[in-house]
Amino acid sequence: MDALQIPESEMISRQIETARGLANDHYIGSDRYDEEREALLFSAWSGIAFASDVPHPGDAMPIDFAGLPLLLLRDHDGEINVFQNTCRHRGMILVEEKCNLRGTIRCPYHSWCYNLDGTLRATPHVGGPGVNYDENVDRRNLSLFPIKTHVWRDVVFVNISGDAPEFDDYADAIKERWKEHEKPLFAPGGSSSFEFDVACNWKLAVENYCESYHLPWIHPGLNSYSRLEDHYHIEEPGCFSGQGTMVYRQIEGERGERFPDFEGLSEFWNKGAEYIAFYPNVLFAAQRDHAYAILLLPKGPGRTVERVEINYPFDPKDRPDLSKLIESNAKQWYGVLEEDLFVVEGMQRGRHGLLFDGGKFAPKMDGPNYLFHLWAADRMSSRKLRLAAE
Amino acid sequence: MNLDGINAAILAAHSAGDGVSLAGLYRRAGDEFVAAGSIDEGCFFLTQAYVYSLEYGLDSAASIRSVLVAHGRER
Ligand code: FES
Ligand SMILES: [Fe+2]
Repeated sequence: MDALQIPESEMISRQIETARGLANDHYIGSDRYDEEREALLFSAWSGIAFASDVPHPGDAMPIDFAGLPLLLLRDHDGEINVFQNTCRHRGMILVEEKCNLRGTIRCPYHSWCYNLDGTLRATPHVGGPGVNYDENVDRRNLSLFPIKTHVWRDVVFVNISGDAPEFDDYADAIKERWKEHEKPLFAPGGSSSFEFDVACNWKLAVENYCESYHLPWIHPGLNSYSRLEDHYHIEEPGCFSGQGTMVYRQIEGERGERFPDFEGLSEFWNKGAEYIAFYPNVLFAAQRDHAYAILLLPKGPGRTVERVEINYPFDPKDRPDLSKLIESNAKQWYGVLEEDLFVVEGMQRGRHGLLFDGGKFAPKMDGPNYLFHLWAADRMSSRKLRLAAE
Repeated sequence: MNLDGINAAILAAHSAGDGVSLAGLYRRAGDEFVAAGSIDEGCFFLTQAYVYSLEYGLDSAASIRSVLVAHGRER
């Protein structure tokens, strides 16, 4: 039972051979959940939405990110901004539902109006009926709180704490690894965007995604053309981990039609494909003819919404001949990703086992998974050190 | 001025969530009060009109604003 009392900095040894995983309370405890929200999600660059969620100028979408109310906006110049979705007056939620804003954001309570760049435009009756200014209410200091935002691979990333390195530095290693894939992505939407509401801690979805060990058991169909021995580990400590395959096979339609490739890919990608968990909460796939991203949106210690978006190198509107294949591909991925759900939910329930001691990593197979634990434990201990110093 | 008529229309537009109509109705009420010399009431209604004009990105926002500014109600 002592294992549950050991702080995470000691739980995770520097060697996979002797390391145990994060203790149960990191998955089921609400105090730990709050600490991790800050140390793993808010202080890093987390994915909260897709840019394609707000395709048109004026589009607005409220997002509850791990309990934090955010507002995703595309302004009238087409730029994406994220703000805290809380009015600066009495703290009312500003936007309740996805909508298109033709002018300003009007708070539904006392109608203070904000421009789409977050500045406070009007404060009706603030100085008494029909008087719209007050010496003590300086609009210049009452803009919506802006959130640091960056869009990459159609994912809207945010750094809530505001003190993470610039996104391009934070993502330097994965951008370098996938530089050939820096291409425009097109999301067909429809059945190519779907979500799962899963009864597990968000970290279990990361952990399951970055290992290939489970493929023969959980995805026997997938594995028949992509065998365990054709996979390799992807390990970038402190940034990301995952798996790659050397036998990627393109999906084909009834008439043998295929998706066109991303332009300019090297030989490797003819048969290579990579699946990377980009810490903390975005799961990416890079393949020659399509890609996808999965956002893990925590809804509490034991609940996560997984949002999946499949994207292509071409605009699906230009290729009606491929619409059936796009549908079959969406169906195929839905099926594969669905196969993982009972596992992550089962691991979540398993973590209510009081005697579970964080488990035992298989050093040959669990490297990418171990790296994620190490990343999480390191960030949790530096948080603790920082708090102790304050 | 038939305030009752405007009142009823304003209530109906509120329950229909019709902000564009609200902008127009409040504007009418505001202008009439101002024209009749009731600046306080007028500016109250013009403020309402201003907010809905802003919300719906209507061109009327600018002219309403200048009336409010002229009466020292907005800066
Ligand atoms: S709370 Fe938003 S205007 Fe009062
Ligand atoms: Fe899987």
